[in-house]
Amino acid sequence: MENELKQLIIDALDLEDISVDDIDSHDALFNEGLGLDSIDALELGLAIRKKYNVKIDAEKEDVVKIFSSVSALAKYIESARS
Amino acid sequence: MIVSDFVLREWSAWAPGMNCKADWKEWYAGRRTIQHDDKAIISDAVPKMLQRRLSPLARAVFNASDKCLEPGKSIPTVFSSAHGEVCKSLEMLKTIQAGDEISPTAFSLSVHNAIAGLFSIAYANSLESTVIAPGLEGIAPAFIEAFGLLSETANEVLLVLYDEPIADFYPISPFNLNAEIPCALALRIALSGNGLPLRFSRSLESRDDGEHPVQLLTFLRFLLAEESSLSLGNQGHSWRWDKI
Repeated sequence: MENELKQLIIDALDLEDISVDDIDSHDALFNEGLGLDSIDALELGLAIRKKYNVKIDAEKEDVVKIFSSVSALAKYIESARS
Repeated sequence: MIVSDFVLREWSAWAPGMNCKADWKEWYAGRRTIQHDDKAIISDAVPKMLQRRLSPLARAVFNASDKCLEPGKSIPTVFSSAHGEVCKSLEMLKTIQAGDEISPTAFSLSVHNAIAGLFSIAYANSLESTVIAPGLEGIAPAFIEAFGLLSETANEVLLVLYDEPIADFYPISPFNLNAEIPCALALRIALSGNGLPLRFSRSLESRDDGEHPVQLLTFLRFLLAEESSLSLGNQGHSWRWDKI
């Protein structure tokens, strides 16, 4: 799941120079970590909705926590789907 | 009527296969042709995370502009394009029509000043930035805007003219508003200093030289040519550039 998510991040966000192995599951995705920004958060939210049919509602959910790392995101998607 | 004398301090242009002035001179002489699948090279100074957001047209603008910049120095900018990235907007409309969701990234970059915005971030260029959509008026309004900036406080202005072919979806005939190639022409101008001295004036001639995408290539030819003057007009106003 985590590797699948990493590939989704690379494809959805045009991270051409980055491979799955370059992304640490526990590193921060935004700002100082992978360096993603707010537009990427929206793009990633859309990609996750399309692929996993999981909607992340910015009004109800703690999006900072959900998007904090690949590991956190994978856990959230798995729990939302079950 | 003379509007302003000015100096072309530096210029640079990019089109597919045309990467430097020597390439353009060969093109002008008929010895070099456009390479249609070529992608503009951009400076390593542009952060990688920003590079992924650049469309082919944005890359053309960055490539041409980069050679006119002085490292570490901000400069007021005037960008001018008839169609901007309207092809991207068309793609989004098609996506909506198909009932799909549009990409937030594509949406955020679909405005006429998107390239100017990316440019100011990439080069940390904090001075004024204007983006013109000149409609029928061709390339002259961009010069007029630049002269306004020069007559106020700016020592130099970076003027960037760019356009790409528009999608077949849009009717072109009978208007002369489409160029066959994407092209970006960057001009660094000032009121004095070293470079090519030019005079910009208004002309009373009635002319039909096409719109911005066509005029920009004509102006590029003028820079390469021996001719000392160029007149451009389209349905109304005409303007003249003289090498003085």
